[in-house]
Amino acid sequence: MRPRGLPPGRVARRREPVTPLGDRQRRKPMDGRRAKTEKKAKRTVPSRHQSDGTGPPAEINLKLCFSYRRKRMRVSKTGAQEKSESRRRLEKDLEAARIELFEDARLGAGGRQALHHFSERIDELLRHIFSFAHGQGELPLAVVALGGYGRRLLCPYSDVDFLILFDGKIGVQEENFSKALLHPLWDLRLDLGHQVRELEDFRDLESDNPEFVLALLDARLVAGDPNLYDRFQELFHRSNPQSHRQILDLLLPLIEQRHARFNNTFYQLEPDVKEAPGGLWDMVAARWIQFLTTGHGKCDWGAQTVSPLSNLQRLDQAEDFLLRIRIHLHRLNGRNHNVLTHALQEKVADSFGYTGLPHQQVEILMSDYFRHARAIARFLDSAQEAIRPRSEKSRPRKVGENLERAHDEIRFRNSKKASREPASWLQAFRVALNEQCQVSDTALSLIERNLCRYNPDDFFPTEAERDFLLDFLHPRQGLYERLSEMHDCGFLGGMFPEFQSVFCRVIRDFYHKYTVDEHTLLTIRNLERLVRPSSSARGRFSSILQELDSPELLVLSLLFHDVGKWRDENHVEESARMVQNVFRRLHLSPDSARRVQFLIENHLQMSLVAFRRDTEDAEVVRRFAALVGTEENLKMLCLMTLADIEAVSPETLTPWKEELIWQLYVDTYNQLTLAYGDEVIEKNLASVSELLADHPADLSASEISSFLEGFPRRYLKATDKENIYRHVRLSHDIHPDEVHLSLAKQHDVWELTVVTLDKPYLFSNISGVLSYFGMDILRGQAMTNPKGLILDIFQFTDHEGFFQLNPEGISQFECLLQDVVSGKVELPPLLQRKERGVPYRKTQKRVSTMIVFDNQYSQRYTILEIVTQNALGLLYRISRAISRHRYDIDLVLISTEGDKAIDVFHITGKNGRLSELSQRELKSDLLSMLEGIYEADQEHCPSKQS
Amino acid sequence: MKLIKSIVRPNKVDDIKDALAKLSISGMTVTEVRGHGRQKGHKAIYRGKEYSVSLLPKMEIEVVVPDDVVDEVIEAIIGTARTGEIGDGRVFVIPVDYGYNIRTGEKDVV
Repeated sequence: MRPRGLPPGRVARRREPVTPLGDRQRRKPMDGRRAKTEKKAKRTVPSRHQSDGTGPPAEINLKLCFSYRRKRMRVSKTGAQEKSESRRRLEKDLEAARIELFEDARLGAGGRQALHHFSERIDELLRHIFSFAHGQGELPLAVVALGGYGRRLLCPYSDVDFLILFDGKIGVQEENFSKALLHPLWDLRLDLGHQVRELEDFRDLESDNPEFVLALLDARLVAGDPNLYDRFQELFHRSNPQSHRQILDLLLPLIEQRHARFNNTFYQLEPDVKEAPGGLWDMVAARWIQFLTTGHGKCDWGAQTVSPLSNLQRLDQAEDFLLRIRIHLHRLNGRNHNVLTHALQEKVADSFGYTGLPHQQVEILMSDYFRHARAIARFLDSAQEAIRPRSEKSRPRKVGENLERAHDEIRFRNSKKASREPASWLQAFRVALNEQCQVSDTALSLIERNLCRYNPDDFFPTEAERDFLLDFLHPRQGLYERLSEMHDCGFLGGMFPEFQSVFCRVIRDFYHKYTVDEHTLLTIRNLERLVRPSSSARGRFSSILQELDSPELLVLSLLFHDVGKWRDENHVEESARMVQNVFRRLHLSPDSARRVQFLIENHLQMSLVAFRRDTEDAEVVRRFAALVGTEENLKMLCLMTLADIEAVSPETLTPWKEELIWQLYVDTYNQLTLAYGDEVIEKNLASVSELLADHPADLSASEISSFLEGFPRRYLKATDKENIYRHVRLSHDIHPDEVHLSLAKQHDVWELTVVTLDKPYLFSNISGVLSYFGMDILRGQAMTNPKGLILDIFQFTDHEGFFQLNPEGISQFECLLQDVVSGKVELPPLLQRKERGVPYRKTQKRVSTMIVFDNQYSQRYTILEIVTQNALGLLYRISRAISRHRYDIDLVLISTEGDKAIDVFHITGKNGRLSELSQRELKSDLLSMLEGIYEADQEHCPSKQS
Repeated sequence: MKLIKSIVRPNKVDDIKDALAKLSISGMTVTEVRGHGRQKGHKAIYRGKEYSVSLLPKMEIEVVVPDDVVDEVIEAIIGTARTGEIGDGRVFVIPVDYGYNIRTGEKDVV
């Protein structure tokens, strides 16, 4: 509509005067917000009347406009009476049409069918008025329904959008016709969205009025000249070969803006059934996109194809359902208001005839709503995806046995093969995750079609596939999207029927904002976001995630933490019960299963303690620490709590709550790592009695009891029964200078368990031998009981492959350890030789050293916490430095996170805890040693140590 | 009519709500706040790294009550929120001139 020579952004009128209704009236926006602001403008009278002095002023309100019309009609009293009667008749007809529509809806008639009928009634009404108004103009003309009215989906109180189209220049007679048509409609208090145009106006696209342009896609002749209407269609769709592309460019930003208003989610607690994502507008938008990219001629709904994932019938049902809700909302509100508020949900649910208590009816209604909204949202997604620009040049690339990457998505190379091999489906998602792209619609559709042929066990029949699944669940960017794809095509529910039980499940508690399944997937998204934290406050939680041994178990726990919500009550117990089947199918190791079970059973505990208990009370923290037992459990529970709360709604996790969770985490972590030495195992402890009751035949109860007594209680929490019995066996017949040990490997991690009797330099010697063989100590703990029995457990990786490359490696290691502990071999010279090797030369320091002493946390020990750069023999050097000061090391917690070593030593001197002076001296030595200034192992001062 | 504004420990809110319910006071506004009085925060050490918690999380409870029950309400709040330690919080009493029910437009008569 922009004439040549005008600067961009300015819109010129083609000719003056163009229309009797003024420019503001003509450009009626279809967008709801703008429509409201311009409603007043729509009801102004023609500006032309100002100049001839025969009419009222241009900016006059509707009331005055009617007075003016009445004044003119006084010419004939009989005529006025007739008009009045006609108006009353029309009002009655309109009211009858609405009542009929509401009755149709009440009786359960489909939304679309009822609205078609209502639209036809409005057509009749319009034609009736048209027949009276027509004849005053000379030009051929047409009245064309637009937008929802054009689609025959006019709701009772929606705007009636239409176009008055003239085949030529608009003059006085055309103005009179327009008034004769519009005024009776205004008298009926209809909200009109009318446009007046000449045919030639459609030679160019009116790109500054996108809503109007889009409404024209649904144009339908109501009254007037069919020939003119056909020429309009021809002109609008065919005059410019690029017009459909241009309309598409107008449409896409509107969708984006509208979705942004709803935070891009259709899981609204009080959804706007028209405008929210997954609402009626999305349905229209998706069809427009398909029409504009594939259609020719008129937009024909029935003839269009839909995405393979969303079949036509499913979408028809979805649209019908939303239309029925919208009709009820109009009935209940008495106006064009489309938000399904809490208050209206019960009334609508009742109208739909759902059974059960009111809250149950609402839950069913909302479950149905989300199911349908999801179908529509996916339909729009796939329509948008189909028009996404693709790199045409890139040829399909093989990315798996039966997988290829083409057009930025993963698809199966051989569909028949894929349909026969359900165990390979997960690979498509895994590859998509690695390649940071999505799985194609055709692949998703294939999975959806073939899903019913298989049982859950068919998806991971072997250990390799089960490991593959766990590996897939490792939190990283894109996991949420892939899991959502899996959920949408039913694959996730197929693998885990437990998860399917909460499909679109609504919990109406005015607290949760999303359905249970979406809430669950959002918890995983929140965890995934911690991989790249958005703020420093989140950075601290992010570092916890990086430290986890098995983050995939946390994702597994999140996936099932709320599945018990399919029932109304006590979902925690039910979730814990249901997850047992998952353990069985995944053949999860007892340790892993125990951890997931713990997290599900206690997923509400941390928020309960953080927000509703006095965390400044040491006893509260101590009890919470006793509940979690180990740092790994605490870290996982902390992240689970954070992700869970944040997935309730965007506003639920406030900085205030985040701070409380962090404080509880820190206090509990300190309790677990610093104060645990004070709590030792006693005979009458419940968990000890349990161990004694179940003892194996080769061990006596007194043996077990004697072994356990005096070890820290965390040993019981951190170690399962079988391992405890194994440790007791290792302690059999132990003599001074003897070392009883066991080595076991799980995945890539070795575990060394050493049982021996206390003697000087023991701890540093064991850690020194590990370093000598190039082992990287990941974590471990060293414990002493009052009888001088030592139990050290080290987890380490053999990154140089010493054990793998040397068949005699394990026996060499065992021999050297025996010899070093018994004093037959001196370790320092061996280590010095090793350090001179190229791989062990000092690298650049990336972690600054922190040494902290604490005499508060423990009544028995001084706690020395060292955080520093990890290095070969670090533990050996630190422990030797401590021993050089003649302090006893009773308990040690070792932890390595990447380059960072975090070691906690519980030490005592001759008089118990260390004085401040002693702490300063030791700190100075340790700092010197860690900075490489002082070689701690040059001196050998024998002292007692564990 | 008085506005009673209490700053209390987060874990005491439920107890205070119950205590006020016993006095037939059910309407209240609860807000998450952070601040400090004499308690002045504390220092926590996490893995050898010291960080200070200068503004402590508290809850603010606001309740408007008739003059004749003010003392009773204050007593209930203090009795419930007290632990005897620093950081138990504060109660402020502020006079209120009028109150209106937005839905009905009625002026509160107390």
